[in-house]
Amino acid sequence: MQWWCSAQATAWAWTWRPYPGVWLVVLAGLLSYAWLLRLGRGPTAKPRATRTWLGWVGIVCLWAALDWPIGALGAGYLASVHMLQYLLIALLAPALILLGIPARVWEQQRGGALHGRLARLLFHPLVTLGVFNLVLFYTHLPSVVDGLMPTQIGSFAIDMMWFAAGILFWWPVLVPVPNRPGFSFPMKMGYLFLNTVLGTAPYAFLTFGELPFYGIYELSPRVGGFSARQDQQAAGLLMKVGGGVISWTAITILFFRWHSVETAAEPTAA
Amino acid sequence: MPQCSTWVTILAALSLSGCAAEDEASGRARETGYRGVLADEQGPLPSFVLDNVRGGRFDFQAEAEGHAVLLFFGYTHCPDICPVHMAGLAEILGDFPWGLRERVKVVFVTVDPERDTPERMDEWLSNFDPGFVGLRGTKEETDRIQIELGLPPSVRMPAPVDTIIAHASSVLGIAMDGTRLLYPFGTRQVDWRHDIPKLANWDPEGS
Repeated sequence: MQWWCSAQATAWAWTWRPYPGVWLVVLAGLLSYAWLLRLGRGPTAKPRATRTWLGWVGIVCLWAALDWPIGALGAGYLASVHMLQYLLIALLAPALILLGIPARVWEQQRGGALHGRLARLLFHPLVTLGVFNLVLFYTHLPSVVDGLMPTQIGSFAIDMMWFAAGILFWWPVLVPVPNRPGFSFPMKMGYLFLNTVLGTAPYAFLTFGELPFYGIYELSPRVGGFSARQDQQAAGLLMKVGGGVISWTAITILFFRWHSVETAAEPTAA
Repeated sequence: MPQCSTWVTILAALSLSGCAAEDEASGRARETGYRGVLADEQGPLPSFVLDNVRGGRFDFQAEAEGHAVLLFFGYTHCPDICPVHMAGLAEILGDFPWGLRERVKVVFVTVDPERDTPERMDEWLSNFDPGFVGLRGTKEETDRIQIELGLPPSVRMPAPVDTIIAHASSVLGIAMDGTRLLYPFGTRQVDWRHDIPKLANWDPEGS
């Protein structure tokens, strides 16, 4: 039995398979999130239910991306599903989980380690943007994908790198600590926009590449009638469109929040 | 459960084996100019006649004359190797100019004549490329041909997996000058793009 999804040499079958390692990681996520919710519960007020649900949805996204069938298909059969995994693990789930953490948890951190010099450096927007895009670039290199995905530990490493990079990427946008007053709403929107621009290079390589980049997807038994090249093009488009939808949704939300903050700050006409 | 150091060793070994494989492939390419492996059995064009699934008989020697041939023994119910080889070849041939494509024949010989009816083979091959040739003979005929070519004959697996047939996973490439090369499973489109013009003695300027 496998503990984590990895590339297999056998033909794909729609037969459920258990991946205990995925369950353990998801369980750890659930317990950690429940602990954070408990930490965020004040003496009188409870965390907002809508925000709490976002976190649960984020963990479900993570689970869906890692477990059968998406995890197994993405690990060794379809580059397009691998890209869907990337979107869920690196972009959607981290954002939802960070959004779901009650504000009181961050308030409790004031004066703590998250305000230290190391945290300020680690969560500096230029660092987070750089690290996220380095991980994106590295984990999509053909030699890395072909070298790591056939092993469970390698596949696990890629998934965890994505999730960690995603948490890092969204941190300056969604988490109020360390306090960074200069990183205003327009700056956050610019940060997200810049990320969509930086992500264009891998998208272009995948979509417009003449030949399949990844040996494991080129040589895997076909699923769903897609050729290796169509699958790769779909992966590129998914990266661009899916990543764009997530980023531009966040930019839009930030814009309206900025607008409402500015409106509230304006002196009311008599 | 292996320790962390074990995993590091495994990853390092995998990386090194990958490098070794690449070195071996590039070394081969330097020696012969091909990325395929020179076959042990070299000689004149093989001589055999089998049924063409689109009608008539196919005299391999006569039909292959003046062409580069990519000959593969497989079966249409194959879950992995056969469709991957055929799909890769179809995609890469589609990139080539018509003049080069005309010089290349892809010939698929079934090792499962019981289930591979002419209609099924025609439909299956046409899904990849209508130009692919499908041939059918008795099990004895195809076994004999494979042995003559230095390929292992096919073997039907015992029950309960008797729908699976173990067969040679290499495509036999026969260049226009008669050189025989083997392209094992794992040959990628980038390798085919490198070798097929050479197999067909294609000069984009003068051909």
